[in-house]
Amino acid sequence: MVSKTEEAQVNRLENQVDNGGGGAWEYLCLVRTLKLRRSDKVLKHGLSILNDPKKRSSLGPDEWTLYEQVAIAAMDCQCLDVAKDCIKVLQKRFPDSKRVGKLEAMLLEAKGSWVEAEKAYTSLLEDNPLDQVIHKRRSAMAKAQGNTSGAIEWLNKYLEIFMADHDAWRELAEIYVSLQMYKQAAFCYEELILSQPTTPLYHLAYADVLYTLGGLENLQTAKKYYASTIDLTGGKNTRALLGICLCTFSIGELTKGRNKEGKESSDLQCLAAAALEKDYKQRAPTKLALLNSTLKSLKLSS
Amino acid sequence: MGGELRYEIGQNAYIKLILHTLKHKTSAVNGVLLGRVSGGDTKPVVEITDSVPLFHSQIGLLPPLEIALVQIEEYYDQQGLNIVGYYHANERFDDFELGTVAKNIGDHIYRYIPQAAVLLLDNKKLEALPKGKDRSPVMQLYTRDVSRSWKLVGSDGSSQVTIKEPSANIVLVDYISSGKWQDIIDFDDHLDDISKYEHKLLFSLFFHHLITYFCE
Repeated sequence: MVSKTEEAQVNRLENQVDNGGGGAWEYLCLVRTLKLRRSDKVLKHGLSILNDPKKRSSLGPDEWTLYEQVAIAAMDCQCLDVAKDCIKVLQKRFPDSKRVGKLEAMLLEAKGSWVEAEKAYTSLLEDNPLDQVIHKRRSAMAKAQGNTSGAIEWLNKYLEIFMADHDAWRELAEIYVSLQMYKQAAFCYEELILSQPTTPLYHLAYADVLYTLGGLENLQTAKKYYASTIDLTGGKNTRALLGICLCTFSIGELTKGRNKEGKESSDLQCLAAAALEKDYKQRAPTKLALLNSTLKSLKLSS
Repeated sequence: MGGELRYEIGQNAYIKLILHTLKHKTSAVNGVLLGRVSGGDTKPVVEITDSVPLFHSQIGLLPPLEIALVQIEEYYDQQGLNIVGYYHANERFDDFELGTVAKNIGDHIYRYIPQAAVLLLDNKKLEALPKGKDRSPVMQLYTRDVSRSWKLVGSDGSSQVTIKEPSANIVLVDYISSGKWQDIIDFDDHLDDISKYEHKLLFSLFFHHLITYFCE
């Protein structure tokens, strides 16, 4: 998960390298630290360093990390020959290495040799039962084969041991959403909010899931979490502001004829609408009219 | 006694949606199809004239979809176009099934127009595109039948979807090789940064096509 500034930094570097302005190694390091998936760029720029003997030797011991990074990127781009070559180099340098063994197993996975890959991972796990990456590969393999229930099962088993892995909770939540198992997705986001209460992304996702579940209680809770997202993002999150408007409208539809929530809720909606209008005026003025008519159609019930 | 319903997609709409799927190769993407029904009773045709790329993340969530549909309805109504369908590309390369999320969104679109078209990306056809001379779109067409379920329209039926401009796939291959998919902005991108939106792209796509046309 990256912040906006981190993403801007990576994009800037990427542009620079793409246009021949240098900084390839810096870019590759940043992509690795932020755990981004930009395999086509990594492959291209990584290979340009590795294929140049001068550049390669200037890396020193980092050369091997680059081989590893490029091997994985190559597998993601289905350039399996490149991956095989990188792994061969690493095998020569580090014979009997478990880390290289992992790459070999991943190559089997990339080829679609699921049974051999499974065998390889199982044997690697025997020697190293707490290797998180390998545990997660099993879930990834299930997902790649279209076995989503298997992927869920593996992820749940993984999370029983490694319950602090936020990325895994997010992945599980997203799988649940794709299967429309919204209650289970909500549970994942609840775990994430409990462990990282100041991360707005989780509040926002939780609110979206609750809204999708529907029903008066869920809508009211969703509204609270859109509000907390706005709080945590200094009012700058467009999705949360729109979420407030949607919730107020839908709650209004559901409570027509009953005691309305009162002035407090319409205040919140007005504030959100005003914030949106201000932002659009500044940054997307040609879309302002469209926003206004959207907001108008959402205010029908109040 | 009427003619059988045809589906026709314009080059601009077609290329934009394929490029959208190529920009986000590692996730499912979707979008809405705009156009109109014409031809009366004798030669009815659903003309798809534009497409709006919507999302590339958490497609099963309602709030962004609801906002998008409100805005799209409003904007295209002013241009005399209606929502006539929905497109979807699955996350995995070898997944040729129309999943439940896609079907549910399709059901929602069906409320706009009973002849709604759901287009699912055919990855194998897309991969084979540069090598062949196929003029048909690299999509599968689904329509809703009387049993209220989405059925794949077979290649033998005349209600297949065709591309209006016969050389569309050639233009598409050209755009793909020049990396034009990087310029696609979808609704997700807009919600993340409202200063990004689609219209500049429409112009640049069309303009590029004009230049290549005149330089042949």
